[in-house]
Amino acid sequence: MSQTNAIEVKNLVKTYGDVYALKNVDLNIADGEYFVLLGPSGGGKTTLLRSIGGFIRPDSGSVDIKGKNVDNLPPDKRPTSMVFQGFALFPHMSVSENIGYGLKIQSIENNIIENKVSRMMDLVGLTGLSKRKPHELSGGQQQRVQLARALILENDVLLLDEPLSALDAQLRKDMCIELKRLQKTVGISFVHVTHNQEEAMSVADRIAIIADGEMIEQGTPKEIYSNPKKKFTAEFIGEKNIFNGKVLDVNKSTILVDIESDKIEVANKNYKINKGQDVSLSIKSESIKVDKLKVSKQPQENKAIKGKITEITFLGQFVRYLVLLNNNQEIQVRSHDEVSNINVNDDVMLSWRLEDFLVHEG
Amino acid sequence: MSLRDDFQPKWKLALKWGWLSFAVFILMAPTFYTVYISFNELGFGAKYYIFTFQWYESVFSDRQLIGSLGWTMLLAFITLPIVIPFGLMSAKLYKQSTKKVWIVFILLSPLFVPADILGSALLVFFKNLNKFFTMIAEYTGIYALESWFDLGIMTAVIGLIVYTLPYVFVVIMITMARYRVEQTEAARDLGASAWRAFWEVEFPQIRAGVFSACAFVVILTFNEYTRTSLLKGGFDTFTSVLISQMLNTGMSEESYAMASIVSLVAIIIVSIILIVTAVKTDELEKITRAVKEPNK
Repeated sequence: MSQTNAIEVKNLVKTYGDVYALKNVDLNIADGEYFVLLGPSGGGKTTLLRSIGGFIRPDSGSVDIKGKNVDNLPPDKRPTSMVFQGFALFPHMSVSENIGYGLKIQSIENNIIENKVSRMMDLVGLTGLSKRKPHELSGGQQQRVQLARALILENDVLLLDEPLSALDAQLRKDMCIELKRLQKTVGISFVHVTHNQEEAMSVADRIAIIADGEMIEQGTPKEIYSNPKKKFTAEFIGEKNIFNGKVLDVNKSTILVDIESDKIEVANKNYKINKGQDVSLSIKSESIKVDKLKVSKQPQENKAIKGKITEITFLGQFVRYLVLLNNNQEIQVRSHDEVSNINVNDDVMLSWRLEDFLVHEG
Repeated sequence: MSLRDDFQPKWKLALKWGWLSFAVFILMAPTFYTVYISFNELGFGAKYYIFTFQWYESVFSDRQLIGSLGWTMLLAFITLPIVIPFGLMSAKLYKQSTKKVWIVFILLSPLFVPADILGSALLVFFKNLNKFFTMIAEYTGIYALESWFDLGIMTAVIGLIVYTLPYVFVVIMITMARYRVEQTEAARDLGASAWRAFWEVEFPQIRAGVFSACAFVVILTFNEYTRTSLLKGGFDTFTSVLISQMLNTGMSEESYAMASIVSLVAIIIVSIILIVTAVKTDELEKITRAVKEPNK
């Protein structure tokens, strides 16, 4: 991956009345990078994407694409192409007319358009469908037409606004693989907006978490999933369990946190945390081990806690246990295998590796 | 068909259709009766019926009637290229605006003013405008605008625009409601100018509504009497001739024939519009559903 920036967003602000859709957002996206804007609905992802594409004029801040400021350029003058959320295909045009529309506008000769359209249709897997109208295509095929229509212009950046949201789960997984493959083939930067973390993880080189108009944090999918720096990210990504508490003790290797009814010891990963400070702890549901509580084997102090099973659900690859703790907080535990002899209302012991807990400020 | 209809007894459905047919018959009976009379050689009120085309033949030799038909068509064709873009822009404004109720209220308000009041108000307005431009001409020596608002084609056209714009707006707005703005954005994103995006992407999808609005304008021009009569100046329109003939001498058999021609043409046009719109709406419905639920 090259080090030059395809997109540089500085201090972007957009308001609608009193509501901030974007609050001083900064963002750098590298050349040839597959970048995902991930966050809950109404968080500002689409506003950011549309500001990059020129469909929204921000109140302040700037957008540079390939080192050139594009703040005053309309969408048709920016080196970007957009794939819209709602399959914005032209229903009165055939597949090939849709794909070739951008080239037709550039007054390119018909035979050149036909060749390029044909090559692009092969690339996205639409061979043989050139004469069909959009409504005669499946959802996946319609999305491929949008991709081909955007990619044929060979712009520097492809913007994708929730491109898979209208597809069913299996088709979405297949399209994720295809999108990633396509991005590698064409080699340009993709900026993909989604609220679906699985979709984000499966395509992204890097992910930015956006909520309430703010850039929460950025990182690789592994960083975001395994080591989220912010409490919001920990809550939003994966099936995480969050505990709010107060730091009782800090030493070089561990931190002891009081979560009201229990105390939890976690590994100190050089956190800048002081004794008495309010913190949040997060742990992935698959990092907790659940065992039936036995009289002969009581939980090790600060390294395990007691709970009561309230629900057991078989989810195919996992079994999910809902466990009620002494402080009345319900947490989730996911296990690859069903734990034998555990039933609803059984008392259980929950344990973990110290390093699986993450500490967040506030 | 809705679930409720599935459980509806057949006799109830038949009753509904029967009622609808009866209502249509009652509404259209006078028109059909006019057509019936227009083919009777002995005319209205005769004891016997002898089929003939002679009244239709004499229509085309009635210079006053043919002349008024020409004036009416001329008014319609001058009004069309003005009111259709107006209606189109208004419908686009409505679609983009967040203050939709106000736009509807403003554009439909001419419909709430009685025709004779609106017509006389326009008449007074134009007369005052003429006085104003005459005064300007006297002071400045510029006579270009002096007789612009003399009663004539222009004032009649303005009256027709005020009358037909609400209908044009509603017809286009209904067709435009199904259009997805993302398509315009997509066209702009692909490099199209605003005009090109409209002409090549949006217009083909709202064409049925625009053509329906055009047909409505022509029909409404024939229909209009009060405003046009007050504002037309020295020429006659088809409706004003028909009504003056009726008031002076009663309806002639030629008038019945001409009224039949106009009615049948209007019915055929409206039927075509309804059928095309229904087919297009059905197509659009399918497309919209296919796009919204592509996996089904």
